[in-house]
Amino acid sequence: MEKNSTKNLILTLATIGIISALLLTFVYEWTTPYIQAKQAQAQKQAINEVLPGVEEVEEVEKNGNIFYEGYDADGSQIGVAFQNSGGGYNGAIEIMIGVDLKNDKIYKISVLNHQETPGLGARITENEFKSNFEDKAFGDYSVVKTPPSEEMQVQAIAGATISSENTTRIIEDGLEKINSAYGGGN
Amino acid sequence: MSLDFKQVVSDFKNGLWAENPIIRLVIGMCPTLAVTNTTENGLAMGLATSFVLIMSEIVISLIKKLIPANVRIPSYILIIATFVTFVDYFLKAFFPGIAASLSIFIPLIVVNCLILGRQEAFASKHSTPRAIADGIGMGIGFTWVLVLLGAIREFFGMGSIFGFTLLGDWYRPMVIMVLPAGAFITLGILVGVMNYISREGK
Repeated sequence: MEKNSTKNLILTLATIGIISALLLTFVYEWTTPYIQAKQAQAQKQAINEVLPGVEEVEEVEKNGNIFYEGYDADGSQIGVAFQNSGGGYNGAIEIMIGVDLKNDKIYKISVLNHQETPGLGARITENEFKSNFEDKAFGDYSVVKTPPSEEMQVQAIAGATISSENTTRIIEDGLEKINSAYGGGN
Repeated sequence: MSLDFKQVVSDFKNGLWAENPIIRLVIGMCPTLAVTNTTENGLAMGLATSFVLIMSEIVISLIKKLIPANVRIPSYILIIATFVTFVDYFLKAFFPGIAASLSIFIPLIVVNCLILGRQEAFASKHSTPRAIADGIGMGIGFTWVLVLLGAIREFFGMGSIFGFTLLGDWYRPMVIMVLPAGAFITLGILVGVMNYISREGK
């Protein structure tokens, strides 16, 4: 059989394809449990971080979104955590938001995933920026470039206005989803 | 087939300086410019690319006689893609931090012309031991330039190296260095300096 005959070309590519698919099936089977465990762990850590003193977490589905209701050791509800995502400067940003439903306030936020520029937008994961949202009332926030003078202001990261602005919008949007699911009043 | 030891050593050394993929051949520019904003990213990208390069060179030099010339490029790409997917899963499972910071640039190793270029120019023409030497040499050559680029950009852009802060609060970071423009500027200066050094030697 001639080496460059059509049949031979198809056979070669098919063989390589099948061997490659077989190998990758094993790799996929091997790594998937680790990947899922890591993601679940990261999510659990984020929930613990944004709901202070949480002992037990219950997953509740409302309006097609999954909310994490946190309870303390006595079984009383501390608050609700919700994971929201949206576009950042380079890619999607995923944020866990923990709220106190009794006082309509944010406990804390935690950034799960992002692809912002290191040294600039990536600083949304630092406490200096995240603390902007601690104990804030629900509502619309305005992003400012100077230290905030009013309750509803959030200080942007220098050189990363878009990342700061988009993160703030993702949080606002998340709060709205929590509000509409739990009917928290304003 | 006799194996010339000197030949293997010179194949290995080739990638370190004389035909360094970044500063001499100027190939594989996409990851070079995109991910070297920190030292750690540069190192991780260099190692991931080296792994794919060495493994594909081994496989392709072994089966080069079985692949018909008309489908050699798609065959190489399939083999390279297999190893890249392996690296992608592996990093996600065991080094989620690195996988997150390199994100899309790991799958993009498939189209890194350094890898395909070495298969076409070297692995498909030479014996397996020489291909391994070439892969390791090119891999180290690629990695050290990425680490150097990442270190320079992180130092001036963030005042740190490998995440350790070296310059205190008095230092005002040059933001441009961690942005894409900083990559072009640093790479340009680096290539210029390297050219100057090698010309001096002559």
